[in-house]
Amino acid sequence: MPLPSTIRTVCQAGLAHATRQADVSYAEVRFAGEEVERLRVRDGVPDGVGRSLKSGLAVRLIARGTWGFSCTPLENEAAVVAAVGQALAIARASSALGRPPVLFPPRDAQVGRYETPLGIDPFGVPLEQKLAALSAPEAALRQGGAPIKSAEAWMSWTRIDKLLMSSEGSDIEQHFVYGGAGMLAVAVGDDASMQRRSYPGSPGTEQLQAGYEVIAEGRLLEEAPRIRQEAIDLLSAEPCPPGRRDVILASSQLALQIHESCGHPTELDRALGHEISLAGGSFLQPPQLGTLRYGSPIVSLTADSIAPRGLGTFGWDDEGTPARKVALIQDGIFNDYLSSRETAAALGRESTATVRADGYNRVPMIRMVNVSLQPRSGSLEALVADTAEGVLFDTNKSWSIDDLRLDFQFSCELAWEIKHGKRVRMLRDARYTGATPDFWGSCNAITGPEEARIWGLSTCGKGDPIQAMQVAHGAPPARFSNVEVGHS
Amino acid sequence: MKADGAAIAPDELARLLAAALARAGEAEAEVYASWQRRGFARFALGELGQHMLIEEPHAVVRVARGRRVAETSTTRLDEQGLVEAIQSAARIAPEVPEDESFPGFAGASEPAPPAVQRFVTATAASTPDQRVELLRPVLDRVAAAGLVATGVLDATSSVHAVATTGGVQRSYAGTTALFKIWALESAGSGGAAGHGLAAHADVGALDLAAETERAIRDAERSRDPISLPAGRYDVVLEPPAVAELIEWFGMIALGAREYDQGASALSGRIGEHISGTAFSVTEDPLGELSFAVPFDREGMARRRVPLVERGVARGVLYDRSWAARLGTHSTGSASVPSSFGEGGPAPSALVMDGGDAASVDELIAGLDRGLHVRRLHYVNGMLEPRRAVMTGLTRDGTFLVENGKPTRAVGNLRFTDSLLEAFERADGVTRLRQLLPNWWSSTGSVAAPAVRIRGLSFSSGSQTRS
Repeated sequence: MPLPSTIRTVCQAGLAHATRQADVSYAEVRFAGEEVERLRVRDGVPDGVGRSLKSGLAVRLIARGTWGFSCTPLENEAAVVAAVGQALAIARASSALGRPPVLFPPRDAQVGRYETPLGIDPFGVPLEQKLAALSAPEAALRQGGAPIKSAEAWMSWTRIDKLLMSSEGSDIEQHFVYGGAGMLAVAVGDDASMQRRSYPGSPGTEQLQAGYEVIAEGRLLEEAPRIRQEAIDLLSAEPCPPGRRDVILASSQLALQIHESCGHPTELDRALGHEISLAGGSFLQPPQLGTLRYGSPIVSLTADSIAPRGLGTFGWDDEGTPARKVALIQDGIFNDYLSSRETAAALGRESTATVRADGYNRVPMIRMVNVSLQPRSGSLEALVADTAEGVLFDTNKSWSIDDLRLDFQFSCELAWEIKHGKRVRMLRDARYTGATPDFWGSCNAITGPEEARIWGLSTCGKGDPIQAMQVAHGAPPARFSNVEVGHS
Repeated sequence: MKADGAAIAPDELARLLAAALARAGEAEAEVYASWQRRGFARFALGELGQHMLIEEPHAVVRVARGRRVAETSTTRLDEQGLVEAIQSAARIAPEVPEDESFPGFAGASEPAPPAVQRFVTATAASTPDQRVELLRPVLDRVAAAGLVATGVLDATSSVHAVATTGGVQRSYAGTTALFKIWALESAGSGGAAGHGLAAHADVGALDLAAETERAIRDAERSRDPISLPAGRYDVVLEPPAVAELIEWFGMIALGAREYDQGASALSGRIGEHISGTAFSVTEDPLGELSFAVPFDREGMARRRVPLVERGVARGVLYDRSWAARLGTHSTGSASVPSSFGEGGPAPSALVMDGGDAASVDELIAGLDRGLHVRRLHYVNGMLEPRRAVMTGLTRDGTFLVENGKPTRAVGNLRFTDSLLEAFERADGVTRLRQLLPNWWSSTGSVAAPAVRIRGLSFSSGSQTRS
């Protein structure tokens, strides 16, 4: 649905006011509106059913060679003109520090429109139908009672509308819809030990940029008995024995591995030191572009903002750079960064179109798009059959990685011991540890496109103040050799 | 009440909520609203690359039709916007299944919270020019030391109000000023780093110079680190490190939901010994070591709640719904849903008791051979929540201590240990505690002392980089 013409008029008024200032070399006014519908059923009881609305206008400009940012929740001309005034005051105040002017390369005007292709508009589906799609699997998780102590199922849908108008003549209107559903069972044993089992991945990874058709594809009701039983079986499973093993990461866990050890360290703002105040830096430094061996020769990772259904898919990023696909890691070699116009220019490169903002009241910054491991061939079952001794890790439980994105430790809800090509027993509280280039350097098998599910994370946290962003990862299960494993 | 520099006066926000409720005409409804205005100066590489004025209005509405409850939220804090949010919730409510344990919204008979004064005009009215002039000597000093400055100066005012159709009407305004500084050997590629942090309601009370000097001193001490292998080390954890552990403990253990699920370390263990006598944690939103709003989103008065006393589990936190389900009373701990949390009972101001030690140096003097840890990074407490097993890395200053004296910088190491079992082995706690805002809210915080722990388990050695 097109935005109301009043929004465009207000943005134009703000932009006109900004560009009338003699010391302004660049300005943009951005409208961002968001509607979120959340439903959750926990232990047979509705728990937080409702909708949220958030909208407003952001002003970002360069005056006297310095950035200024302000915003307003009010969508009228007086408010946007006031916001421009505040952004100007900030830029002018900051310029008193006498630092070198911002290097923000000009670009051609971009004019166009993007819209998520939808099968079924989720906002047109009755609430009753959605609640039924949750209540049935949630009840199935609890069927039979103990040792299942608690169960829940959830669904969320988000609609985001954006308009970007800039002093370069860009006029970009975009409309996004994404969502999905998941479930979780909590089992408590007689000894008060507790195990959780989630589906389809760890909570929050089930989101796709698509319509309500993804709910049927998710098969929550069909999968509930398996998830329930796995939660129960974990109570009596042995802990993962410590040692060095071959490790297979199932798709959902591999998605998080990509997110933490490839997505974040290839953010150029981190590498240049802009993100220390919340997240940290990166071990991937600019002099290593084109030379550093990040992974084995079969490892290629892309940043792709055009992939179907990915949460990181758009027409243009939030500073008007058109969507594209770039190789971050090519045949194991560090090849490119996730970058913005400003950070790319610092390296004499072009933006890789990754800048987005979490709503109207946050500054646009480099965010992951769809960062994905390129598939090779074969199925997960064939990979298991090809493994003499190893551990298969599935569904993330805990995640931790150092401030350079080098040393990591992940644990999973469920693991399987593999012997002679067969899953021989379930393991609980399994964790694996590694150093990013060593780990990816040990990758010796990647499954094929038929296994490469795309996982969406809607709350990737970055920035200060914190921003939540929608990102995604295509993740064909893969095998890594000689990895340190153990239990919590 | 006046709130100069804030986006709106608290009385005016309260009147707005009451007027919207009256106009919408719903029999049972609740509206909670907040409006934050943040003057946020974020610097990196010695430059103010992200200097922002951020307006964050937010209202959360619940409407009940009998025991059917729906929730909406909006960023439109005018009467029409609020009325529309109430009407939207009213349209949804009849379609929501009944919640048999819904206790209704708070009524006028609920005790009012005590008055808390945490609003400082100098913070709320902070201008861009003032923030730049506060930061200029910081940036100059770090550059003069041959280091790279990165950090934040945040001056936030927030106004909060809640109203229910049962007659609750409350409002409050507060301010939070936060300064975070890193002095770095290199901009983004690691190397020596030092950190300083100060938080106070009054931006004028922040000692930027002292925190800057601390960051520079630690960065200079952190050069040329040695590697240590994995193993158990006696450690002195400074308050920012302890606070991060306590913050995670709050997320995984101290809400009624986790307690009822059997997922909390306190589940089924109230009155039992779960940790050492050095471990006492209280929800203390009205105390001095807090930025909390004195009432929760339901209009219930926040109050002091002992959670763990000298290692004995004493209780968890409840909102009205969870209190009704579990047959007890709300502790005034209903949180507002956000991108990073689904709402429900949660801490707002966790405070760990201090001990007898006069200083961090006194704790360090008690180490024959161990580690002095300034901060932790990327802690995660989801490994085994029942035991509160956590993992994370040291950051921004890790030092080897030999014969009671710091001797060398150490490369960052990863610990993996149970918080509760580690505190069984704590034998020293400072009297002084530091107040640290949490990363997702300017009104949430943890206050922690420095703690000496014997035999903390480090699962990976330092400098594993290939």
